[in-house]
Amino acid sequence: MMTAAQFKMYRSIANRSLQRVLAYRISYIITFLANSINLLAIYFLWQGIYSGREVVGGYTWDQMKTYLLVTFLANSVLSWYSESAISGKILDGSVAVDLLKPVDFQTARFAETLGSSLLEGGMSTVLLILFATFLTGVTFPGSLSVYVLFAVSLLGAIVVKFGVVYLAALLCFWSTGSMGIVWTRIALTNLLSGALVPLAFFPDWLEKLALLLPFQAIIHTPSMIFLQQADTGESLRLIGIQLFWGAALWIAGKAMWNWAVRQVTIHGG
Amino acid sequence: MSIIEARGLSKSFMQAVKEPGLGGAVKHLFLPRHIEKVAVKPLDLSVEAGETVAYVGPNGAGKSTTIKMLTGILMPSAGTVSVNGINPYKKRMDNAAQIGAVFGQRTQLWWDIPIVESFSLLKDIYQIPGAVYKTNMELFTEMLGMSEFIHLSARKLSLGQRMRADLAAALLHNPPILYLDEPTIGLDVSVKQKIREFIKQINQEQNTTVMLTTHDLGDIEDLCKRLIIIDHGAIIYDGSLSEVKARFAKNRVIFFQVGSPMPELYAQLAQTPGMKLAQQSAQEFSVSFDRYEYTASEVVGRVMRYGEVVDFRMEDTNIEQVIKAVYDGKLDLTGTGE
Repeated sequence: MMTAAQFKMYRSIANRSLQRVLAYRISYIITFLANSINLLAIYFLWQGIYSGREVVGGYTWDQMKTYLLVTFLANSVLSWYSESAISGKILDGSVAVDLLKPVDFQTARFAETLGSSLLEGGMSTVLLILFATFLTGVTFPGSLSVYVLFAVSLLGAIVVKFGVVYLAALLCFWSTGSMGIVWTRIALTNLLSGALVPLAFFPDWLEKLALLLPFQAIIHTPSMIFLQQADTGESLRLIGIQLFWGAALWIAGKAMWNWAVRQVTIHGG
Repeated sequence: MSIIEARGLSKSFMQAVKEPGLGGAVKHLFLPRHIEKVAVKPLDLSVEAGETVAYVGPNGAGKSTTIKMLTGILMPSAGTVSVNGINPYKKRMDNAAQIGAVFGQRTQLWWDIPIVESFSLLKDIYQIPGAVYKTNMELFTEMLGMSEFIHLSARKLSLGQRMRADLAAALLHNPPILYLDEPTIGLDVSVKQKIREFIKQINQEQNTTVMLTTHDLGDIEDLCKRLIIIDHGAIIYDGSLSEVKARFAKNRVIFFQVGSPMPELYAQLAQTPGMKLAQQSAQEFSVSFDRYEYTASEVVGRVMRYGEVVDFRMEDTNIEQVIKAVYDGKLDLTGTGE
């Protein structure tokens, strides 16, 4: 269990990570703009698909609008920074400096991720509220409990996504380039989490497969809860599955790190 | 028990052997062949608390590999290490808490935020008590002249500033052991001086054990009482710096500037055993000699018999030349010295 001093240390790391994002004001504004354009593009794409149709794959246009906003939020709470920073550390060898600190590598990276996600998640929320006020027909849930469950599921989504990112980053110990790994991971995550299209649009077998994998916990779960396609009991079950995947990926990450460090410390950095 | 204790410590790596060309690359893909490369041969090392040790050797001699094993980021292939009673590889985190390290080529500062923020993060990481942190920050800021750049982010610092900040970062938690890997590489003379003064003071006041690898022989002469030379993965000398100087730095050189050329002296010197003449120009030359065989006044007196000496200066062989001779294989320190 974590002691108070350790908690303070990891909180400090998260704090510095937040400061780092703030240090790049310009890049932060550009990311903000890029995200908005991306969201607009996807919005108009789906508007085109829905023209002349009432329902696609069981989703009405109003539901789809909501789905897009939720997807956007869930996708952006885990910062872009953390997607590339961990593999970067491994590739440029600065992981050696981390090994010289009395700090658990995985927890420290998670703290960093949370720190920078706080800002980028906040930014996305602002953007979404702006969007939602100009859009008609976005369905907001009426009961408070849905919002609470949704917030919890977003947290769960962060943990699961971190697990995926972390495991993929550790693969860089064996590869000399990170781009291939990063893009493969992004493609897999986007497809199987429901970020591209809702899982309900998939052929039956692929949907079943996707539901067995951890990726669905990142987008599918929060969107099901927010769109109230899952009742309270079902929502709790989905969050439970998230927690299971979060824990499983964490343990897998730990095991893989221990193994990777052994390789590195045996073969040299 | 010594603070750093290694017995039979060695490290070898597997190295891929590829034949040249595309054919070789393809062949390696299917039939990889490796050879074992020994980086550090089994070595014994004991360092007492408070010692300042220079660990030197040519590039690729095994210096960094040894330091990495002592810091716990590299697993030894064989042998045992104990640093302050801790096996650094098995208990990496415990060991990390009691050491400070500066690797000249890398920084531990956060690149994009003010370095003072990096320092306060270290306070939380090492759980440094508030009072200790405050005292150290004041002392280090003053001694290393950091006040002008402590509020800048690391990427805005010059190399000299960054290195000073890194050194402060490594010592904030008063570690009993400090590893420095080329701490003055690429720095100007005044920064070098500041850094050496600082390390010296920390070593004297807190009895910090310092182990230093360097190519800068000024670092060694200024800082270290003990010298360990490693070459081809084996320790070839381990002893006091003054002893190595007394034993091997016995050459003295006197540089002369004379009023007119002295051909007869040159001819005479060429025949004198134990003296060596090197001519710089018609009126400038140097004579090197064994300082146990001749005295400086003997040499000067001899030159003065042949004409007017405008100016002269004397140089002792410094540690630089001794180590260079060892690297070049001209001097064998393992034997009796001859």
